[in-house]
Amino acid sequence: MKWLILLQAVSLCVFAQSRSSQMRIVALPGNSPVVTLRLVFTTGGARDPEDKPGLARLTAEMLAGGGSKDLTYKEIVDALFPMAASVGSQVDLEMTTFSGATHVDNLDAYYKLFRAMLLEPGWREDDFKRLKDSALNSLRVGLRGNNDEELGKEVLLSELYRGTPYGHYTGGSVSGLQKITLDDVKQFYKQHYTQSNLILGIAGAYTPEFLERLKKDFGTLPAADSSPALAIHPPAIAHTRATIVEKNTRSVAYSFGFPIDVKRGDPDYPALLVMQSYFGQHRASGGRLYQRIREIRGINYGDYDYIEYFPRGGNLMEPPPNVARGSQAFQIWIRPAEPPQAAFTLRLAAFELNKLVKEGIPQEDFDRTKEFLSKFVNVLTKTKRAELAYAIDSMYYGIPNYNTYIKDALAKLTRDQVNAAIRKHLRTDRLQIVAVTDHAADLKRQIVGTGPSTIEYNSPKPAEILAEDKIVGAFDIGLRPDDVEIVPVEKIFD
Amino acid sequence: MISRFLLLFCAVLMASAADPPSKTFPFPYTQEDLANGLRLVTIPTDSPNLVSVYIVVQTGSRNEVEAGKTGFAHLFEHMMFRGTDKYPPEKYEEILKRAGAASNADTSNDRTTFHTTFSKEDLPAILAMEADRFENLKYPLEAFKTETGAVLGEYNKNSANPGQKLEEVLVDTAFDRHTYKHTTMGFLKDVQDMPSQYDYSIKFFDRYYRPEYTTIIVTGDVDPKQARALVEKSFGDWKRGSYHADIPVEPKQQGPREAHVDWPSPTLPLLTIAYKGPAYSDTTKDTAALDAFATLVFGQNSELYQKLVVREQKLDSLSANSPSSVDPDLFSIRARLKHVEDLPAIREEILAAVKRFQDELVPADKLEAVKKRERYGFTMRLDNSESVAQTVAEYVALRRTPDTIDKLYAQYGSLTPEDLREMARKYLIESGRTIVSLTGAAPAGAAK
Repeated sequence: MKWLILLQAVSLCVFAQSRSSQMRIVALPGNSPVVTLRLVFTTGGARDPEDKPGLARLTAEMLAGGGSKDLTYKEIVDALFPMAASVGSQVDLEMTTFSGATHVDNLDAYYKLFRAMLLEPGWREDDFKRLKDSALNSLRVGLRGNNDEELGKEVLLSELYRGTPYGHYTGGSVSGLQKITLDDVKQFYKQHYTQSNLILGIAGAYTPEFLERLKKDFGTLPAADSSPALAIHPPAIAHTRATIVEKNTRSVAYSFGFPIDVKRGDPDYPALLVMQSYFGQHRASGGRLYQRIREIRGINYGDYDYIEYFPRGGNLMEPPPNVARGSQAFQIWIRPAEPPQAAFTLRLAAFELNKLVKEGIPQEDFDRTKEFLSKFVNVLTKTKRAELAYAIDSMYYGIPNYNTYIKDALAKLTRDQVNAAIRKHLRTDRLQIVAVTDHAADLKRQIVGTGPSTIEYNSPKPAEILAEDKIVGAFDIGLRPDDVEIVPVEKIFD
Repeated sequence: MISRFLLLFCAVLMASAADPPSKTFPFPYTQEDLANGLRLVTIPTDSPNLVSVYIVVQTGSRNEVEAGKTGFAHLFEHMMFRGTDKYPPEKYEEILKRAGAASNADTSNDRTTFHTTFSKEDLPAILAMEADRFENLKYPLEAFKTETGAVLGEYNKNSANPGQKLEEVLVDTAFDRHTYKHTTMGFLKDVQDMPSQYDYSIKFFDRYYRPEYTTIIVTGDVDPKQARALVEKSFGDWKRGSYHADIPVEPKQQGPREAHVDWPSPTLPLLTIAYKGPAYSDTTKDTAALDAFATLVFGQNSELYQKLVVREQKLDSLSANSPSSVDPDLFSIRARLKHVEDLPAIREEILAAVKRFQDELVPADKLEAVKKRERYGFTMRLDNSESVAQTVAEYVALRRTPDTIDKLYAQYGSLTPEDLREMARKYLIESGRTIVSLTGAAPAGAAK
């Protein structure tokens, strides 16, 4: 029984505003022999200078993948090696995260390295050259060359936010990265790596003295970031438009959507979360889109929807935390379809969206989805690492513990509220569509107007599906030829 | 049960004061066999309210012995979600949804794993449903054909990556007879022919989805007695099969091989140098020694990595993988280059590093650091019920018991620099070598 009480006590999350500085602390003391550090600076790609996108990410990579003042990168790697530890970085538009974990008996040795890397960077030219090359390769080869789906999603978001601080890819552009100098990186660090931007997270079997040391060390950062607050106003979309990225590839990948005025903590967030899960829960087979496109028609590998940014969806089964944003977009992700079925597939996804907006969520699905989400939050926060990261996001959004927030909101939520939120925030016109394909002109011809687009199956289908296919094939997504732009892949993020 | 958890925590914390924890796999577990040959491994872990169920079928692309049937184990992983009379797909989805479950499956060369993580009160419902599909899967021809479209879609989404193509060519070049000759995804022509293989799919299920091929791993907030009773009740009537695949034995390779891939789009050049390695072993040093060799000679803090990636910056990445498969598999060294003109020189540098450590001994202190790293790394991975089950599933596919983990790490513990040199001399030899390179098209507008 004693043990149970202890567990309850340690599972309480400690939120504190440090007295000596403006940094915020999220502490999850516990028994785990693995101590997790997670430092999030509420700054990122949205602070990139207009002509140097990618600066925020390169700055973080210089810290996590370069030497410190006293140690070369090789010496750091050698020292971390026997501990099986590392320092990772993740940069999004509004958050820059440094994370690491170590067995508690290595904590002191590990922390010395972690601290030196973040607080006393070495700023060596050779590290800079290596990491800049790697950023360029990751953009040219990793994203443009090898990953049609992620490319489509990033192009979609940069189109949706064109002209705003969100209107570029966090990984930068070829010309932007080429322009960045080591001095730019140092300047970015000085201006944005401040106590006012820092949320310091720690979990595991650390001592109170260790936490004090952490606070004292990071209390040496400049106090405040003088940059004005970000205000993101995505430009209005006049009518549905499409960007077709042309590249040598086997199949056709799609993403489409529009910005929404709802983020975590807003009154309609829980309602839209239920909608998202019902319509296309990430990598789950029960979503409506998945059922209609993959399960019944066998068109592709999966089809999902999102109300929050979700990078690396091809690799991750669950959303990565600490990519919180002040403005979010509704996005539909259609995995690659064979070219002869591609136009039909896009019409089918738009048809389903239209049905969702018009008819809302059925009662039975509403009940089921609510039950699913109220349990699934436990899966999302199953590790201390995840619990810590979600707590940091909750602090950013100004909401209580995520699990409590979701469970409480779901308990009160009604189907009418979900359907009202769907009608208020979702739509079928004024979409931004992105396709990645080999035959852009062909695809353009097939997706404008009312088609009709057709589909052939390798096995007989029920009469109601064939009847629906006729309607879907002629479903007008509202795209006019003048609103389709074809862009060769080498011009994307160039 | 509570006191056992507490003891476990203390054990981990006390052991950590000195070196890495002495027993590599830190969780007590029960392992039981049902009369029909099904095995159950139950591992309580500190995961309040959550349970993970991993069902490992020791069947993967290795079992695809007939010509024209590559990719079938993977297709079958998909078919397992196509329902039974009692639980048609909609019902299956509903139960998973009501359990708040994260559920999926994956296939590799040696195994197919079905996994679900959910709230503990749903364990009886999930196990009953899983048992039903393993025993009574039933899908019509139409559903089969539709699902083959999803598998082709999976091939398509992977096909944008040149690394996948290089892998296909590598195993096809290196192997002559063994089924490791094809990737788990299978050859494209076979994937395209899948819609016509309905009858074979029924045969595949009948052969391999049998209790003697299957191990159920339950981790998390679970009582082993309850798990045993539930599994007995749900899976007890499952009939044992009789099929044994005749996996062709790979003849000894008689000389070095090479292949090249021309990738139609601009990309960075890739180079893979592979050698025929051993099968997984926890009773000899071969597996552990080659794994340590891969880390020491090609890992992030190796001399070669520091030279080529960090100092000279000719490579974008460098790594090596040692084999851990049921049958003898490839030890491979993979490099991504920044400039195509460096290909010959990089190839020579890698071959020279292999040769060097066939002559010289790796420094003893560096080997000790690798041993420490392996142990810490392994322990730190096991931080939730899902990762414990996932890790155990990898080993269950090889030896059907978590016991092999401690045996393997005992081999690690006993390694000497001489062992590494001996294994490099034994396996990393020219006559068993295959080199595959891949280069991309010139970027649009570039000088020809």
